[in-house]
Amino acid sequence: MTSKEQVPLKENLWRDTGEGQRLMGSRCLNCGELFFPVKENGLCTQCQSKDLEEFVFSQRGTVYSCTCVMQRPPVYYHGDVPYAIGFVELPEGIRIETLFTDCDIEDVHVGMEVELVIEKLHEDTEGRDVMTYKFRPAN
Amino acid sequence: MKNGREVVIAGVGMTRFNSYDGKNAERPNKEYTDLGSEAILHALDDADMEWGEIEAAFCGSVYCGTASGHQTIEKIGMTGIPIVNVENACSSGSSAFRLAYQMIQAGLYDVVLAAGFEVMPRGFIKSTSWPEWQRYMGFNVQPASYAMQTVRYMQETGATEEDFARVTVKNRKNGALNPNARMQKPVTLQEVMESRMIAKPMRLLHACPLADGGTAVILSTRDRLKKDGGPVTVAASVLTSGTYGHIYGGGSVKFKKPDTIEISAQKAWAESGLGPEDMDVVQAYDTMSSGELWDLEKLGFCGKGEAPALLRDGHFDLDGKLPVNTDGGLMARGHPLGATALAQIIEIYLQLRGEAGPRQVPNAKAGLAHAMGAGPNSGIVILKR
Repeated sequence: MTSKEQVPLKENLWRDTGEGQRLMGSRCLNCGELFFPVKENGLCTQCQSKDLEEFVFSQRGTVYSCTCVMQRPPVYYHGDVPYAIGFVELPEGIRIETLFTDCDIEDVHVGMEVELVIEKLHEDTEGRDVMTYKFRPAN
Repeated sequence: MKNGREVVIAGVGMTRFNSYDGKNAERPNKEYTDLGSEAILHALDDADMEWGEIEAAFCGSVYCGTASGHQTIEKIGMTGIPIVNVENACSSGSSAFRLAYQMIQAGLYDVVLAAGFEVMPRGFIKSTSWPEWQRYMGFNVQPASYAMQTVRYMQETGATEEDFARVTVKNRKNGALNPNARMQKPVTLQEVMESRMIAKPMRLLHACPLADGGTAVILSTRDRLKKDGGPVTVAASVLTSGTYGHIYGGGSVKFKKPDTIEISAQKAWAESGLGPEDMDVVQAYDTMSSGELWDLEKLGFCGKGEAPALLRDGHFDLDGKLPVNTDGGLMARGHPLGATALAQIIEIYLQLRGEAGPRQVPNAKAGLAHAMGAGPNSGIVILKR
């Protein structure tokens, strides 16, 4: 049985580094600021330097804040409702907005240890699985 | 005021904020052009001015489409004056106000109109203030963004869901005294705490209701003022947009200090030469109830984490030391995006004129009106007698 065709929600959000999937971003070599996702125009939005390098983020972090959305947004999102979203703080000191998965959404709480996972977001109009990053409770 | 002419408010007008969907006699079917033009006509009456005296118009709206100010003014009469449409999310009205203020201050015109109007789409606001891929992730939900800020506020200050419910109770109580409010019935703490969850820990009654409505403010030089009773002067009108590291930045969030609200407050106090201790009445930004509490703290009316206890002690009540959202705020008045920020300013004006009826704060001499907007934007206006 062939698996369904998969497409990323957006190119270059994550990559298989050989040590698992990791979120990708940019680091400014002038001011040291980190960005997620990759700055596609190559410009630091803190100091406007053009001296950026690619950066690979840690796979684990802790929940900085979270909520459960109980009502379906009017457009775009068409996953399960209710759903949990929040900010995950990575050891590098950056906070990533994310969906949570593989848990009871009511259990997501500030300080919880979580890890990155690449998962289906929804099916597109051509029947392909649109993939995205999410975080789940760390093992 | 920096090297400019004094600007005063010549007159104000607004419609009742309501759902104008034709469901019953109280809420006939109305277009934004009806609501906007009605508000402008009320403001002309209030200012005792003729339409021909208006030299320029800035019109705030978010969902009304192109040339919405032109279509609204078409209902009153096109006179060849410049009409500029201003979309700046929920701070569109205060952005239009600021443009009108600057034109007079700079000496380009003597009498300028700032208007705001909206007929709202129903349900969650379809905010496009996020990159498209983030909307597919379900991040473009304003109550959820507020909920995540609220969770942090609770962590850092010990504030509780009940504290936020008290904001709703206070504002709905004030709104019961405001004939222009969408919600004119008070609610109990229990009703708020038992309302359905929309984005944990925010419940339905922690969120302001949407509404349709129109607002208008006529600004002028002091010598063009016709209404008697002494001038109400614009002491400051500032706008801070998009400080680095905010929530709409796409992917990562810094929450850097000072934030957008704090920077705009610093500018407003510097521009006015006044301080929080000089304010007799405040319109804080309560699109979600928790926001009113940290807004009061960031504007400088109390220290971080102190607003919940002050609220419990009645400090922000109509008869308290610093009445906040005397007209019911967004929570009772309802939220027509383009019209809201001017309604905040109008309430301060009415209070300073002594025209606020049963919700009048005695001897109010100065007040502050705040409106936030996606982007982010933070617009502050300070008025004084």
